[in-house]
Order: sequence, then C-alpha cells, then structure tokens
Amino acid sequence: METENNITEKQLHKDLLAPVFGFSRRFWIAAGVLSLVLLAAGLGFTWMLIKGLGVTGLNRPVMWGFMITNFVFWVGISHAGVMISSILRLSRAEWRLPLTRAAEVLTLMALFTAALHPIIHSGRPWRTMYWAFPYDFSREIWPNIRSPLIWDVSAIFTYLISSTLFVYIALIPDLAIVRDRASGIFRSIYGALALGWRGTNRQWQLHGIVSVLLAALILPVFVSVHSIVSWDFAAVTSVEGWHSTIFAPYFVAGAIHSGVSAVVVVMALMRWFYGWNNYLRPEHFDAIGKLLIAIALGWFYFFSMEFIFGLYSLEGPEIALRNMQIFQPPWSIFSIVFLLTAFFIPVSLLLFRRVRRNILAMFFLGITVNIGMWLERFLIIVPGLARKTPFTFDWGTYRPSIAEIGIVTGSFGLVFLGLLIFAKIFPLVPISDQKEGQAFKGEIQIGRVKIKTTLRD
Amino acid sequence: MPDNTTPAKTEYRSALAPTHIQPMNKAGKRFWLAVGLLAIVFSMGVAGFIWRWQSGWDDRPAWGYYAATFSFLLSTAQTAPLISAGLRLVAGPWRRPLARPAELFAFVGILNILWFIPLLKVVPDTQHRRSIWFDSPISFQIWETIALAVLISCGLCLLYMASMPDIAAKVGKAPGKQGFPVPLGLSWRGNPHQWRILKLGLVVLGAGYIIFLIFQQTIFASDFGLSLVPGWKDALFPAYHIVSSLQAGTALLTVSLFLLRQWGGLKDYIGLDTFKGLGRLLLVLTLLWFYFWWSSFIVLWYGRRPEEQLLLQLFVSGPIRPLFTLVLILNFVLPFLLLLWSPIRKSIAGPVIVSVFILSGTLLDRIRLFTTAFSVTESGEVIKTLPPTRVPDTADIFILMGGLAGMALTYLVATRLLPVLSYWEITQGKILESEKQIGLRKVKMVAKPE
Repeated sequence: METENNITEKQLHKDLLAPVFGFSRRFWIAAGVLSLVLLAAGLGFTWMLIKGLGVTGLNRPVMWGFMITNFVFWVGISHAGVMISSILRLSRAEWRLPLTRAAEVLTLMALFTAALHPIIHSGRPWRTMYWAFPYDFSREIWPNIRSPLIWDVSAIFTYLISSTLFVYIALIPDLAIVRDRASGIFRSIYGALALGWRGTNRQWQLHGIVSVLLAALILPVFVSVHSIVSWDFAAVTSVEGWHSTIFAPYFVAGAIHSGVSAVVVVMALMRWFYGWNNYLRPEHFDAIGKLLIAIALGWFYFFSMEFIFGLYSLEGPEIALRNMQIFQPPWSIFSIVFLLTAFFIPVSLLLFRRVRRNILAMFFLGITVNIGMWLERFLIIVPGLARKTPFTFDWGTYRPSIAEIGIVTGSFGLVFLGLLIFAKIFPLVPISDQKEGQAFKGEIQIGRVKIKTTLRD
Repeated sequence: MPDNTTPAKTEYRSALAPTHIQPMNKAGKRFWLAVGLLAIVFSMGVAGFIWRWQSGWDDRPAWGYYAATFSFLLSTAQTAPLISAGLRLVAGPWRRPLARPAELFAFVGILNILWFIPLLKVVPDTQHRRSIWFDSPISFQIWETIALAVLISCGLCLLYMASMPDIAAKVGKAPGKQGFPVPLGLSWRGNPHQWRILKLGLVVLGAGYIIFLIFQQTIFASDFGLSLVPGWKDALFPAYHIVSSLQAGTALLTVSLFLLRQWGGLKDYIGLDTFKGLGRLLLVLTLLWFYFWWSSFIVLWYGRRPEEQLLLQLFVSGPIRPLFTLVLILNFVLPFLLLLWSPIRKSIAGPVIVSVFILSGTLLDRIRLFTTAFSVTESGEVIKTLPPTRVPDTADIFILMGGLAGMALTYLVATRLLPVLSYWEITQGKILESEKQIGLRKVKMVAKPE
C-alpha cells in the first residue's frame, strides 16, 4: 500500500522537475501520437474551408451539431480548474495540492479549444475577424449585445484571462525554482517570468493575499461562463426542450461533473506517464471520488427537474420531443448510454472505497463520465433542433460528417498536447505547494494510534 | 483497532468545567418567562387558525398566509439540521459547537406536521391542475404526508443518535441526579464497536436527511406553489426554494447560537470560529440565492412569452413590487454588502445581524410566493388576469406570529429534553487539536482520523 513518505527536498525537485529538464522517449511518442490526432482536426477543418460548410452534416433545421456540442463540452471541462484550485482552496481541502496546476492548465487548454469552435463553425473564420476588427461596429455591423451569443464572447475571454492569471501567479515560486536550476538563455527566460522572486516573507505574504483574492474573484466568472452558455439555449423559445429556467445551474453542475472527471483522467495519466506515485496517491483519488459522488447527485437532481418539468406542462411538441429522445432509435440508444455512463455506472461504483482507490478504475470512470456528458450536450442540442418547426415536412435529422468527427477528435488531441507541452516547459505539480504541505504536516499520538494533522490557522 | 479518538466517559467531565454545565441543570426565571410569552403568542396563533377554519377550506386565498408560515418553518427550522448533517459529512472542525443546536430543530418538525395537515384540505387535487405527479394513482396528499413524516422521523433519529453518548454520560446533570428525561433505550457503553456504528449511523442518517429534505421541499414547492398557478412552469423554482431555505436555515442557526451563547452561558463553547464559518457559509448561500433567482428571472424575462410576462408581473413587477424589492434588499443586497467586508464577516455580531435580515427577508419572500400562488383561483392552461394582492387580516397576523412563537417554544422545550451542545463532539475536537511550532509561530493543527 502506498503511503506518504517523507520525501527530501532534493528528491522532490528531481521528481517534479524531471519532465522540464529532460526529453524522454515517452514524451516524443506521446507528442507524435497527439499531433496525429490533432492532424485529424486540421484535415477536417481544411477540407471544410476549401469545400464549404456543405461537407458537414449541418442542414435545416439542425444548424448546430457536433461542433457546438463540442464547444459546450469543452467549456464544461474548463470548470475543473476553478473547482479544484479555487473552491477547494477556499474550503481548505488540503488534498487538492498536487492537482491544482494540472486542473488549471486543463482549464486553459479546454477554454482555448472551446473558443476555437465557434470560429471554426462559422465556416469562413476570417469573417469573424472582419466583423470584429478594427472595431466592433466596422461597416455598420453591430453585434447584438442583447444576445447571449455575444455575452459568451466576453464571458469566455474573461474566464480565459483570469484563469491565465491564476495559473501564472501560482507558478511564480516554481518559476524561480526552475530559474535557479536552468542555464544559458533558459535561465534568463525563466528569470524574467519569475518576476524577481526571491522567496522573502513579504513576497510570500503578497502571494498568499493575491492567491486568495483571485480564488474568490474567479468564482463569479466560473459560474457565469457556463450559465451564459446555457442561456444560448434557454433564452430561445422556438426550440422544444430548450426554454427552461433550470438550464443555468444544470449546465454548471454538468460542467463541474465533467470537469472533475477529466481531472481524474489527467491525474491517472500524470501518475503513469511521469511516475509520480508519491505525489498522486490513492488517497487523492479517494477524495476526488467522494467529491464526484456529491457533484453527480447534484447534477442528477437538476437533470431530473429538467426532465420532469419538460413534461409538466403537457404541451404536445415537448412531449413529442421527449418521446423521440426516449423511445425512437438512435436517440433512445444515446439516452440509455448517456444515463448509464454519466450517472448510474460511475456513482454506483464510486460508492466503494476499493474502486475509488484503484487508479485504473478511476481512469476509466473518468472517461465514462465524459462520454456521458458529451452525449448529454448532444441530446440537448440536436433533437430539439430536429423537431424545431411546427411543420413535420420541415423536420430534419443530423448525421455528422467525417470532417466534423475529425474536428471533434482533434480537439482532444489539442488539449492533451497542450498539457504535454506545458508539462515540458513548467512543473505540472506545484513544487512550492508540495514543500508547504510537507512543512505543515504533523502527527499526534492518541492512545496507541498516530493520526496525521493539517494546519488549521 | 480501537478508535482512540472517541472520549471515554470519564473524559467528558474532565474536559468540561462544572460551571459550564451548570446553566443547563435548571431552568431559570428568564427561561420560564420566555416560555410563558411564547405560549401566549402561540395560543393566539391557534386562535387565528380556528378563526380561519371558520371561513372554510374552499376559500383558498384566505389560507395563503397559513401556507407561507408553514413554508417558512420548513425553510428555517427543518433546514437547520441539514446544516449540521452537511457539515458533519465534510468534517469542518468549527461545526462541532453548532451540531446539537442545529439538530434540536428537528423537534420543530412535530409542530410542522400538525401545521401541515389542514393545508392538505385547502389545495385541490391534481385532477384540476398540472402536477408533477401526472396520473399517479396515489394522491399527492399521501406523497406529501409520507415525505414530511419520513423527514421528521429521520431528523429525530439523527438527533437521538447523536445525543446518545451525552445522554449516557449524563452530561448536563449534576452528580447524583438521574439522566435526562429522554429514556436511553439502547445501552450505550462507548466501546469501539458502538462508536463505529454511531459514526456510520450519523453519516447515513445525515445523508438521508439531506435527500429527504430536498425531496420534500421539491414536492412542496411544486404542489403548493407552481401547480396552483396555471402556466407557471419554472423548473428552477423548487431548487430556488431549497437554496433560500439553506440560507434561512443557516441564518436561524446563527441567531440561535448567538442567543445560546449570550443567555445560555455557553460563551466558552460557541466562539468566534463558529461565527466566522457561518459568516462564510452565509455569504456563499446569499450569492447562490441571487444566482438561482436571477437564472429563473432572466429566462422568463428574455423569452417574452405573454404568459411568462404575466407571471413576472404576478410575482415580481406588478402590485407585489414593493414586497419583492424588500425581499431582494434583505436577502441579497444587505447580506452581500455586509458579509463582503471582512471585519463584519469575521465577527460575532456581523453574521447575527445579517441573519436577522435574511430571516425577515425569507418570511416576506414566502408571503410573496405563497399568498400570491394561493390567491390565484383561475384554472386553465395559462393565467389571464392578475388576482388582487391579499393584505393580511387579524387572523393572518395571529397565524404568522403563532407559527414563529410555536417554533421558538418547541425549540426551547427541546433544549430541556436533551443536552444543548454535542459535548462528545466538542471533546473529540479538543482531543484532535494540537499545536506545532513553525518558525516563530505556534499554529493550530487538527487531526483527521478519517
């Protein structure tokens, strides 16, 4: 059984800085594979640019398909970072320490990937620049600021900027550690990024204040981003299944659910890829597993309310839509898979401590949840659009094309490649937090048992 | 392996100075004066109910304030045990002094279920209105009653189970006196097996209480609010009711702890740490309150459907606007601005004052929601006209005051039946605390045996 050893500072630096100061074969293989996956997106996108949006499966009335589903999915994944590093910091969950940076970087990459999707989806992405530059009313084309689609832009970019700041501020002490061990031009680069960090009392004090302030201030942004994304759908009255008041907290709960599950996947990969068994231990997976149970239950409550109140008013079109989602293939198959993978299988397995402490099991459960949550977004967006119009001759269907499948697949490559490159340049586990955790560790003897203590002041 | 973090019986007495137990041994003059006054106001409430009863069950608008009072009791007193159960699950150390005071509110459930029964006669059955029960063969009254009964039973079991070690240790009674009036029932010896069962039971009952409260609040908000107003389809309303209950329950707990501290002689047990924790929790819940209210409002407002605009007029912007504005100020604006300021949040008086605002705001909010819902007598698919706003008459005022007095009276009686603090948990907390020298400072460390 793995236990927390007293790791010396030298060993800590060696373990956590190994990816930064060396190139392993494993790194090149991973980078190669992920680049190939990303290439799929590149090819799909290029083909779409050359041939037009007609190569996608989009058509009246289903104008939003795989790409918008993927956009919502990645915005959801981006909620992992703030959940782990901000909310758990403010609630003083000490077990979060090794995960925070990976979660925050996952947020950055997920947000960046999500932000690309509306641009790709426009079909002629240069026109999005054309509308917005040099100023947003160029050629008398004013963006409709009353539309949630425009609120999306400011929300996502605010979240991206604040998350970047959040990552950077937390990174400063570790940049100083890397600076002190680097040489040549890298020393200068890391030195510039470290902003003259010397680790004085005053610097640590300010660092602590800024970290707590950022953690608190980013929370409204965190809640608002996915709420605004949800209002892209909820504000619309013409599509069945969309106009529901519960969408905002439902989407946010779903985002936290998928985000935290994605962090579990990343944790397992970090442990296997870098050999960080001493830093990402079964107790971390246990703690995050318990968190997942609570989040999943909250999400399921919102899902149930959304479903029940969808049927509540007994409106014909809404009932027809739910009927299609539950009883008509392939939607019925998607719905069953969605419910099983997003909730029933993970929650029933996570109740067992043995499962929560099994890294392989947690890895697969994290993937399972994300499959379910991707399907959830798909089932919200596409069936409603397929039945949008009151005339049955205008009803449509949707079949994703190879270009869209390529773009969606490639997005996963982009996020993981981004994580890999980040880990190459910066320490992915916060070294200073690890040292702090060791300094603040303690033990007390109660009777015959020794129990670990944590700082409470 | 024996659980060495659970205190032996003898350790209770050594951990607690006798003077701290003394105030709970006998009821003083102040206690009996409070009981007397509350009993008088409660009997006014009973008189108000009898008066209302004479107007008949069919005059639904007349019962709006009665329903609002029940909703307020459900939202405050019955939500308070959830705060303790939830904090016990996440194991925050500052929660130990508030555990028992919160769980004692489960006693108010007994009053609540009696209060609830007449409401079942007032609300029409689901054949004539939309309902979340659809075509269920079991009537909604049965579902509601079962849900409330299970909730109250769960709360009382949780309270009793959590009190067992203290009852067994005869904490709070002078030496030589018999135990508390509540019979022990199960012979508690405090061996490791019993402690394990106790801890498991508290987790299971706590989780059960949370689930049942959410369920009960959801169906109550739907049956006695949403489904009385044709066309009111707001999937978020039950969740909003739950979140505002969490805010109000925390506020009630904060005020109760303050009163116990000031007049119960428990200053050494209920300290600044607890109020700091409650202040933080209140800030989070205040923000959540606004978020849930705004999420509902923006979708209804933005959609511009005529029936939804009329609903907004009914509950927000029509004749009810002054009341709604007051609710917004008391439940969000003032608490947010005050609790944002660290010196207020991290004090004792600050959270208490904010809690008084929140409780007042929640009462007005429940009046706004349920008197309005009860005043709609139209049937059909959507509401077509705004009903007149019901101003409270004498019977309504008696009912409101009687409900609040009944809650306080029941709680006071509960404090005489069981130890008012969870002494075993507080002692456990002291055992799990230690100090460590880091640099020039001595810092507090807390052990987590789980």
